[in-house]
Amino acid sequence: MTLTATRPATRAAATARPRRTGRRWPLVALLAVLSVLTVSPFLAMFVVALSPAGEPTLPTRWPSALTFDNIAHVLSTSGFLQWTLNSLVYSAVSVVIILLTASMAGYAFAKKRFPGRDAMLWTFLATMMVPFQATLIPTYVLVSDLGGVDTFWGLIVPTLANSQAVFLMRQFILGLPDELFEAAKVDGASELRVYWTIVVPLTRPILATLGVFVFLWHWNDFLWPLVIGQSDATRTLTVGLTILRTEELQLSLLMASAAVSVLPCLLVFFLLQRYLVNSIAMTGLK
Amino acid sequence: MRRLRDPVTGLLFVLPMLVLFLVFRIFPTLGAAGMSFTNWNIGGEWSFVGTANYARMLQDDTFWTSLRVTLVYVAVYVPLTVLISLGTALLLNSVVFLRGLFRGMLFLPYVTSFVLAGVIWRWIYEFNGLLNGLLAKADVGPVAFLEQSALVLPALAVVSAWKGFGYSMLILLAGLKAIPGSYLEAARVDGAGPWQRLRAITLPLLRPALFFVMIIETISAFQVFDTIYVMTGGGPARASYTLIYALYDKGFRGWEFGYAATFGMVLFAIILVVSLIQRRFLGRENT
Repeated sequence: MTLTATRPATRAAATARPRRTGRRWPLVALLAVLSVLTVSPFLAMFVVALSPAGEPTLPTRWPSALTFDNIAHVLSTSGFLQWTLNSLVYSAVSVVIILLTASMAGYAFAKKRFPGRDAMLWTFLATMMVPFQATLIPTYVLVSDLGGVDTFWGLIVPTLANSQAVFLMRQFILGLPDELFEAAKVDGASELRVYWTIVVPLTRPILATLGVFVFLWHWNDFLWPLVIGQSDATRTLTVGLTILRTEELQLSLLMASAAVSVLPCLLVFFLLQRYLVNSIAMTGLK
Repeated sequence: MRRLRDPVTGLLFVLPMLVLFLVFRIFPTLGAAGMSFTNWNIGGEWSFVGTANYARMLQDDTFWTSLRVTLVYVAVYVPLTVLISLGTALLLNSVVFLRGLFRGMLFLPYVTSFVLAGVIWRWIYEFNGLLNGLLAKADVGPVAFLEQSALVLPALAVVSAWKGFGYSMLILLAGLKAIPGSYLEAARVDGAGPWQRLRAITLPLLRPALFFVMIIETISAFQVFDTIYVMTGGGPARASYTLIYALYDKGFRGWEFGYAATFGMVLFAIILVVSLIQRRFLGRENT
């Protein structure tokens, strides 16, 4: 009795597995189509960027050959090189200073007691609710009064006050055991030494993640560089691209410029995708 | 002795960031409120004008246009982005084959800039661009995506959704992974089909993540600027003239800083309300 009753059930269970994975193939196909659709604007950009100048290309026909001429031409124009350099300075300097100041502040907020700490932390948190665009005008007037329009410090310094970075560091350092810091102090290490030899090495994974995000935020930033950079000396690549778009530039050259501008993002993506994906899932960093 | 030293070192470690904050976040935030009550202009001359800017704004057609355009944009962008994120997250969660590759491809636009998205998609939407080229093969069009008032906001929303959905997709995917497999398995044993399991188990358990994603995307939709600057310049006929675009226009083309700051205060008020709603609901979810 029991044997005959269970047999069909086990047979059904045995056949259910392969059938279930078999049923997934339409989902795989759908996912593949969506994935290709998502990257297709980039693919189209690269195809046009690599098309020979003056020849018809997408969407009417595929280019007869691929060439790096457009890329080389774009890289040989002085304005474009200057914008690229400016974007690199803007991003790199911001990464270094934000990592340093945010990890210092995060360490103090997590492991130190000092007057006004909680009020300060609360204020930092509250400023997250103030969108940058709402303070754009007064920030511009302030920087302008200080003589910072069209200068690198005017471009960089106002973007360093980053509460997300401070909070991320604080949350991470809160999780480190207090004994580590106490032991170092008992051994007579100075505060700076504790920071440099304990805090920095132990927070390296989160510093790396934050560094990647700060780099992308600044490399892709637009509104602030747009209003503060008023000549090629301080204009960033995003602002430069919008200038190229309004000029009567050949499409293949515009796309070549766009393609070059996205290369650092792609590099970061291919090297550090796992970092990015995990940190978004775990911390909600945006 | 060590106790006495501690408050000083704590303050010293916070000091660099604190100064940056006081000067470039707190001061401009207070300044924004203050400036909206002045007639500040490009020369830096100003006097208090009371609530004149607010009164003028309420009479200003461009303000009401920008508010309406922004709300329509939010109403199109948020559901679109949340649906795409949810759909791709559900697909990624149920497929094992090449999952990492697909996730990477779907996430890729997120690491690029809105300016780049605008440059590429402007060409895609053009009369002799990619999309009309494809439509022509099907004997449709050409369609003036960016030159018609009715189409421009959906067209812009698609660009931002394409560029931004990867973030929400990852948040929702993490939410899906947190749902215990035993719940779904138990429902399957009880005879629930895929659709029933999605509606009765997955979506209710995913609600906190879905809510978070909706709030985040709503806030970013209210702040839309880059794609509009690159693709339409607020046109055609102010059909994509959003709040931030109005702020930029009044401030950096009209050089009326005081009046432009008033538009910033409206944005601030909207974001504040959305954030407070989030706080309230998240508080309720936790209890």
